[in-house]
Amino acid sequence: MTARVIVLSGYGLNCEEETLHAFKCNGFSGSIRHINDLIENPKELDNIQILAIPGGFSYGDDTGSGNAFAQKMKLAIWDDLQKFVERDTLTLGICNGCQILANLGLVPGFKKDYGDRLVAVTHNVSARYQCRWVNIKTGKTKSPWFKNIKSMHIPVAHGEGRFMMKKETLKELKKNNQIAARYIKSDGSNADGEFPYNPNGSIEDIAAITDQSGKVLAIMPHPERAMFTWQRDDYHKIKDQAQRNGKNILKTSDGMTIFKNAATYFDTSIKK
Amino acid sequence: MIRIEVLSHDDDGRAIKIENILKNSGKTASVRIVDVYTSENPKASSHEFTTSLTNPITQKLNDFPNNFDWALEIGYLPGVTDNTGHTAQELLKLAGGENDTTCYSSRLFLIKGDLEKQDIELLATTLSNKLIQRASIKSRKEFNKDGGMDIIIPKVHLENKDISADDINLDISNEELETIGSKGIANKDGSRRGPLGMSLLYMQAVKEYFIKKGRPAKDIELETIAQTWSEHCKHTIFASPLDEIKDGIYKHYIKRATQEIRAKRGNDDICVSVFSDNAGAIIFDENWLITDKVETHNSPSALDPFGGAITGIVGVNRDCLGFGMGAKPIINRYGYCLAPVQTSQKHLPFKKENNKETEKVTIPQYYRDKNLKTPILSPETIMNGVIQGVEVGGNCSGIPTPQGFVYFDKRYVGKPLIFVGTIGLIPREINNKPSHKKQARPGDKIIMLGGRVGRDGIHGATFSSVALDEGSPATAVQIGDPITQKKFSDALIKEVRDMGLYSAITDNGAGGLSSSVGEMGEQSGGFHVELEKVPLKYPGMAPWEIWISESQERMTLAAPTENTDKIIALLAKRGVEATVIGTYTNTNRAHITYKKETIMDMDMDFLHNGIPETPLTSSFTLNDKSEPNISEPTDYAQTLKDMLGRLNICSKEFIATQYDHTVQGTAVLGSLQGSGRIYAETSITKPVFSSPKGIVLSQGLAPRYSDIDTYHMATAALDTAIRNAVAAGVDFKQLAILDNFCWCSSDEPERLGQLKRAAEAIYNLSVLYETPFISGKDSMFNDFKGFDENGDQIKISVPPTLLISSIGIIDNIKYSISLEPKAVGDFIFLLGETKDELGASEYYNMHGHLGQNVPQVDGEKNLQLYTLYGKAAREEMISSAISIGLGGLGVALAKKAIAGQLGLNIDLSNFDLRTDKLLFSESQGRILVTVSPYNIEPFKQAFEGFSDIHLIGQVTDDDVLNINNVLEAEIKVLEEAYKTPLENY
Repeated sequence: MTARVIVLSGYGLNCEEETLHAFKCNGFSGSIRHINDLIENPKELDNIQILAIPGGFSYGDDTGSGNAFAQKMKLAIWDDLQKFVERDTLTLGICNGCQILANLGLVPGFKKDYGDRLVAVTHNVSARYQCRWVNIKTGKTKSPWFKNIKSMHIPVAHGEGRFMMKKETLKELKKNNQIAARYIKSDGSNADGEFPYNPNGSIEDIAAITDQSGKVLAIMPHPERAMFTWQRDDYHKIKDQAQRNGKNILKTSDGMTIFKNAATYFDTSIKK
Repeated sequence: MIRIEVLSHDDDGRAIKIENILKNSGKTASVRIVDVYTSENPKASSHEFTTSLTNPITQKLNDFPNNFDWALEIGYLPGVTDNTGHTAQELLKLAGGENDTTCYSSRLFLIKGDLEKQDIELLATTLSNKLIQRASIKSRKEFNKDGGMDIIIPKVHLENKDISADDINLDISNEELETIGSKGIANKDGSRRGPLGMSLLYMQAVKEYFIKKGRPAKDIELETIAQTWSEHCKHTIFASPLDEIKDGIYKHYIKRATQEIRAKRGNDDICVSVFSDNAGAIIFDENWLITDKVETHNSPSALDPFGGAITGIVGVNRDCLGFGMGAKPIINRYGYCLAPVQTSQKHLPFKKENNKETEKVTIPQYYRDKNLKTPILSPETIMNGVIQGVEVGGNCSGIPTPQGFVYFDKRYVGKPLIFVGTIGLIPREINNKPSHKKQARPGDKIIMLGGRVGRDGIHGATFSSVALDEGSPATAVQIGDPITQKKFSDALIKEVRDMGLYSAITDNGAGGLSSSVGEMGEQSGGFHVELEKVPLKYPGMAPWEIWISESQERMTLAAPTENTDKIIALLAKRGVEATVIGTYTNTNRAHITYKKETIMDMDMDFLHNGIPETPLTSSFTLNDKSEPNISEPTDYAQTLKDMLGRLNICSKEFIATQYDHTVQGTAVLGSLQGSGRIYAETSITKPVFSSPKGIVLSQGLAPRYSDIDTYHMATAALDTAIRNAVAAGVDFKQLAILDNFCWCSSDEPERLGQLKRAAEAIYNLSVLYETPFISGKDSMFNDFKGFDENGDQIKISVPPTLLISSIGIIDNIKYSISLEPKAVGDFIFLLGETKDELGASEYYNMHGHLGQNVPQVDGEKNLQLYTLYGKAAREEMISSAISIGLGGLGVALAKKAIAGQLGLNIDLSNFDLRTDKLLFSESQGRILVTVSPYNIEPFKQAFEGFSDIHLIGQVTDDDVLNINNVLEAEIKVLEEAYKTPLENY
């Protein structure tokens, strides 16, 4: 079967092309869909397996990152969205997409009770946009997105990436193993809120969470910018070492695994 | 009137930032942030709307803490672009708001602390700009007494009923003509509409034209001519005959260089579109072209740094969208020439007792007016503002910004230079037609799309062509709206363009519709605009204002009548407004009607070619300079640290990390290189996933060299731009350059003499290197005219500045070379000759001297080096490379050690220059590389026949930069010197 993906666009979302490319590299068919077109034809959600909301700056982050776009989706296609996540599908929100999923209440979605806004993804403690490479490690999760991933070297690029929530929400997230990834230092130890390892001051170094089923992933770092070794900030070092050792560099890098996992889930990986 | 107040949680990063600002001025306070929305629409009080503005976890609606002492609210003045307000308006529509759903945003700061009113006033001036914003302050007592802050609706009211075009009688004296040219058309109340920037000679030509026509001119006609003939649009100084150069500097030097290079290279010509469109374009591969354009936005940025810079970057993005049938913006560039800013105190790079000039030049306060009421903005305010402007503009548009620089000189104090550039990607063919060709055809409809027209930016084009002084108009200030632009950018480039629905496209930049329609009308042979059809932000604008307004985020299309409905409908689905406002014709008339009445009717030929030629003369005096007598340093480690901490050399990492340089997933080599994160001068981007090719970008400039000789300033800029790209592995044969001249006082013969020399210099060198110019821009009057603290008139001119930007191709990104050394035991080679060339160098400047021996480019030798180097790079025998620039070999060695976090063991005993000259000479044409032992023999062979290849040392694992018998410095100490000065920004 060919699983189909839709990557949303419009109103300032801007990572749709590279995100779609990541899926296509792993055998998905799919396309970019402007949110207004999806609103016009929401039944399209019935025919796809993956909905991806990419990074960007929807509505310029005005009134809070991801807020206005989420409001628009909620008013126009909430029922269809809810039906979509309750089917056997996967949902991915990267960066602005992560903020939108949080504002929609598709995460944390305790007990499939979608729609409650229980998590905020808000202004970095530095009150400044941060574009840098970080390390994250996988939390206790059974999310298909994070299968076989222990840690990742991956970039963040956001002004509002700080997860905030009430204590009881955090407790519940932990209890349900919904914290998919945390920021760590380069030696693998906890970032413990320390800048720049934790680039935004996120509570308990949270970088990504899922809904209770693990199938809806909201992640602040950008796996689609860490698909290939040449995208890495240490690419030249890797390339140089490989040359000295007479080896070839690995073509893909950590971020690709996220998309590969989605392919494995639907068994669409390219048979070569 | 409805006011909604949304209180943020007590640990908001935005509040912490303000607490830090207060802390830096010695005040302790805690701050809470309240986001405020105001509207006149009754639906705004609805639950749906107010909850859509409030995040339930971090925010509270209409709730106030009890413990604050001061309330400071900052909002926009009427008519200023309010992006947050626009988003709130969209939400209000979603919540069911009907009719006028306009919303306004403002921000309230609740401050608790032992502060006086004047402290809050000072904070207000730090957080806001009174040209575009209002600030209101209330004590807790006043706040309670009034029941909160006042509700302010910043709506534009124009008292213009039945307004139309005015007749202007030009049959008047020369004196009166001159007044109109310099101060503008008189209103009925005697006030003036703002400068036309027209000389008497121009005004006389216009007078003659209308006398022949036998009627008075209309105000809109005069304004149109002023726009069209402005220095900004026509580049009159570059076009005018200068001395014996009858065809002018631009044609004689810049354009001719490219023509000759293209002819000489024949089949190897990489140029596709040069100088004729909104950007220049070269071949990327068999399927794609890449475009490049660099603009300046100097005058607006001096008044409102944030607004000036964001308008600049989204404006140059439109140059990319307006190239050919529309290119996709894929990389942004930036460059700021600024006055020195405060550095971190704890590691002042200089100690006074050394009797050297301290790096922190105390900048006196200057004023725009004689009464000292309007101080110019501080260098820090300008720097922070322009950085943020490009940040918001670039990041919100999803365009990576990996490439840029900052250069400091105190003469940029009143007139900073703000460079912004955009690289674009476009298929070579669209619908089986070359994508770079376009033509508005007679009968095509004129479609304006994007934002609506307001009074913003009136007189921007003429304003940027005159020196900044007291009379500089505030309406010239505007703020960009990147999201509005992103919406139509996506719709045009990703959908409409490839459907083949339009015949031509261009952006609305300086001069607004008058320029865009005027230029496209030149292609068809005329136009007819029905001006009342232009959608406006608010009623009451005069026709001339509508026509020349520079309201941002607009494009103009030419499309066949049968396609207009389709285009408009498709854009509407993407949230973009588009309107037919007229027709392109072949009547040779520039014709405008307003409510059926003709208000402009001029011959296209007069409008575009009627500008009188102004022959210019120049003079040139080579100043008599001498070399200083500086004693040799006794502590070289300290000297090197001092050099690393200089503003022009130290790290600007804080800029790189706030500019998204990884978006689009295309970054290969970024603005920060090595694990030691050196702020690099070159970047590499892989724009097409299916192609291994990369785009190499860099730039060069050497403004201070102008103090000795603009010829060598210009060649150093050009050689640096090329050398930086070469060092990173660019294919030297696939390299092009862009020129941005930012001159001063270009009405003075000496300045024109300097200009002529610089232009001649880059002609000579570019032709020798066979590197073509593909685009350029000039800004000729970067002078600040104002008053010092005593009220005495002063004029501060920027040093003649030429920015050369380079753009090239690398055939496979695997050939690219980063600057950090990779492995212990690698050999270090210095390529190129180091001469006694410290004139105008950072080293001499540190000692308060200018000197005489300015670096001179040996083009023939460099050509040999760059060619051989390119071959070695493609054979992957160079492990790391840095192009040697400001601060010379010493700084380059330190940067390499910091970048790789590896020691270097260096021996320079084979050179016979005095050590400080050897270390800090800024001789051009030099690259410092490391080579693995494995590659050493092939590397040496590759450079056989090149006289200046010097093995100077090896990479070590002992964390120290050691130069035998000169210095020994720990890497972490060097790193601190390099990273500390600007760490608090």
